[in-house]
Amino acid sequence: MPARISVARMTSEAETAFTVNGTTVRLGLDPRESLLDVLRERLGLTGAKKGCDHGQCGACTVHLDGRRVVSCLMPAVQANGRSVTTIEGVSGPGGELHPLQQAFVDHDALQCGYCTPGQVMSGLACIAEGHAGDDDEIREYMSGNLCRCGAYTGILAAVRAAATQWEG
Amino acid sequence: MTRLTRVGAREKVTGAARYGADHTPEGVAYAMPVVATVGKGRITRLDTEAAAAVPGVLLILSHLDNLGIIPAGYIMADGYAFQSLQPLLDDRVAYRGQPIALVVADTLVAATQAAGLVRAEYETEPFAVELGADGAETVLQEEAIPLPFLADIVVGDAEAAFEGSQVRVDGTYESGPQHQVPMELIGSVVEWQEDTVVVHEGTQSVGALRGGLARQLGIDPDRVQVIAPYVGGAFGQKNALQPHLAPLAVAARRAGRPVKLVLPRAHTFHAASFRPVARHRVRLGADASGRLLAVIHEVDQQASRHDLLPATYTEITSRLYAVPNFRGRQRHVKTDAQTPGYMRAPFEHSAAFAMESAVDELCQAIGRDPVEFRLANDAEVDPVTGKPFSSRHLAECLRRGAELFGWAARTPEPPRDVDGTMIGWGVATGAYPSLTVPTLARLRADAGGRIVAEVGGHEIGQGITTVLTCAIADDLGIDPDAVTVVVGDTRAVPHHLTAGAWGTNSTLRAVHAALRELRAGLGAAAAGRVDVAAAVTASGRDEVVVEAVTQGPGQPPEMIDRMRAGLVALAGPEYPDYVSFSFVAHFAEVRIEPVTRRIRVPRVVSVVDCGRVASPVTAEAQVRGAVVWGIGAALRERSEVDPRYGGFLNTDMAEYVIPVNADIGRIDVAFVNEPDFVLNPMGVKNLGEVALVGVAAAIANAVHHATGRRVRRLPIMVEHVL
Ligand code: FES
Ligand code: FES
Repeated sequence: MPARISVARMTSEAETAFTVNGTTVRLGLDPRESLLDVLRERLGLTGAKKGCDHGQCGACTVHLDGRRVVSCLMPAVQANGRSVTTIEGVSGPGGELHPLQQAFVDHDALQCGYCTPGQVMSGLACIAEGHAGDDDEIREYMSGNLCRCGAYTGILAAVRAAATQWEG
Repeated sequence: MTRLTRVGAREKVTGAARYGADHTPEGVAYAMPVVATVGKGRITRLDTEAAAAVPGVLLILSHLDNLGIIPAGYIMADGYAFQSLQPLLDDRVAYRGQPIALVVADTLVAATQAAGLVRAEYETEPFAVELGADGAETVLQEEAIPLPFLADIVVGDAEAAFEGSQVRVDGTYESGPQHQVPMELIGSVVEWQEDTVVVHEGTQSVGALRGGLARQLGIDPDRVQVIAPYVGGAFGQKNALQPHLAPLAVAARRAGRPVKLVLPRAHTFHAASFRPVARHRVRLGADASGRLLAVIHEVDQQASRHDLLPATYTEITSRLYAVPNFRGRQRHVKTDAQTPGYMRAPFEHSAAFAMESAVDELCQAIGRDPVEFRLANDAEVDPVTGKPFSSRHLAECLRRGAELFGWAARTPEPPRDVDGTMIGWGVATGAYPSLTVPTLARLRADAGGRIVAEVGGHEIGQGITTVLTCAIADDLGIDPDAVTVVVGDTRAVPHHLTAGAWGTNSTLRAVHAALRELRAGLGAAAAGRVDVAAAVTASGRDEVVVEAVTQGPGQPPEMIDRMRAGLVALAGPEYPDYVSFSFVAHFAEVRIEPVTRRIRVPRVVSVVDCGRVASPVTAEAQVRGAVVWGIGAALRERSEVDPRYGGFLNTDMAEYVIPVNADIGRIDVAFVNEPDFVLNPMGVKNLGEVALVGVAAAIANAVHHATGRRVRRLPIMVEHVL
């Protein structure tokens, strides 16, 4: 994974190592850099989006050790020694869509697509957490992810479909 | 017809879709603006010393430099920008939140830190941010902007008819300000490649960015490339050049590096347009049998000091009913804000809230069912011109909607749930004009049987690429996978702004014409399946390329030149023998919790007359999204201002509250789906905007049904129904 080198070497750089989608990365990081900015600007992983940078919209949602976090609020140095999964790590090795991604396509759970990576990451967590029991529960646990296009009914249908499929 | 899943969905669910700021060229530097913290005045001192000392800072641009740029001009007055004012050129501060400096650094952290260290001192001046405030100046639209389509609409003698009416309603309704807040932040990546400046930015108008930036920098437009294959929502916010772009291009040239800017969410509330405050006085007169006799609709709309946003509220309120006497009047109230602009259904949402609330009041006054009243007063011909409608199925929208909703079970007395929950049902209608703009489409057919369509349009989530893919595949009888649609790229074709719901109808018109050319070029029949691969091979060429430019009827040819220059086509369409609108009817149920009085909207039914439905999947999504917008507009969204501070106050996603998933219940969407071949050969009218028109009124009317409270100002809050 290509790492971008910061031209201005900050005095307080912290050596940080973590895995992203199974690959180990090592970077010298300014403690003020958010995980989101490191993923997007240094690692070229632009699937996670910036919609507010304040933990208010969910567009930047990734998984940290299997749990959903808003990566804009997390200093990247805090990921040291941990494992990060982004939307780029969700599909299969041959590019086959995860069933939840397929459900988003099938239920047209998106319009502009900008919130979609965050919705998918939250949807995966919502199901894994056991919070996809019924429609109201899904709506509640998906409410940290704003969608200005208003694709909410499609998102609900997609998460419900994938949850049902997982339960078999 | 092909029922295609959304084109680009795979890229969007995998994170592969590249939006403007996803572009990170080698060696990119980062920009961060500094904004004014006073409501109005002059910068007396700008201290950049501490900022410049931050390691990694490359440049600090402000009015103290000569940026060598000129303003791009106002989009509605032969310019390209959302407002005529270009910040950073002098010491004036016209509104709080106006950019006063731009810091560029090696890293985003350094740029952000340095921007926070820039200190400004000001000489302040009094300012007005509300209608009716001291110093807010009011002007009459037909005098201030003497264009025919902006004149007052007058039919019959509305004053006399109102005075003579047996039943009268006289109400004042208010909505706005609101902000579009697309999820994609305003931002741009600007890179000079030798003499050419390349811009990656989410926009509804790559042409305006190209033409405007060229004008600002004083270079040939051919030296500007703007690339926006995906746009993370726009809703009118990104319909013009914004003031960040030219300074960014200057910064990139001076730094000798690409520069990326992503505005903080808070800045976006002042960096682009917003939905202005609109205050409506609506007077309705009817006879005792419930025949509508007079409508007087007077609107005051907020403006900035430097521009007037042409207002067309009365264009639809004069058309919703067969009313023999109508008078509209629109005024502008100048305030100290950035120039307000277009936000989805920019005038029609607010106009329908006022008009359709007033009609509900009238129905109550005369004891008529609101659906039955609307059917009885439906217009057969245009009440303003006497011309027919190209098509009008509003009555069908009302009937179908009433049936789907179960309206027949409605009683004047609202039901109560066992726990005391108040339940109310409301209805409202809407309309939106059938706008069409000049559009160029180029089709390339190759010997492999593939079609590449380069079209002057933008994919902003509305599904234009899906619609065009369906249209081309259906017309030629080929697999949609063999079709690639390229939009939002000045390297391909010139682009008109995509907004006003004209995108689908305008691009379809051009593609339809180009398909006729292609069939001729391929030696194929005028209709029926085409073996593209065989026809191209038989032509002896590698590819067959055709082009078509279309515009609406009555649009002067200069409008095509304007489109090529990235300007808005300000004239037409002018239909010779008819007028044309899309129509919609919305039915909403509200439930109001007995103790908290929290208002919920468990279900909405919307039935739309948009002509033939061009792409079922994306059309349904457009309407559901618009209903979500209507729920936000009715119950959540308001940009707060405070006369002590200026600017907008609730400038983040926690305080500017838009609907979340848990706010949304069931949304049922249906289409009349009657093609309108009078309007165009595809039979398609517009959809994206009309779908929002009337939603807020339906909800407000439902709140009235549930509680007996008539709330005339949006959004409706818990305190209004206590
Ligand atoms: S960008 Fe992280 S929550 Fe909005
Ligand atoms: S799809 Fe556009 S914000 Fe959700």
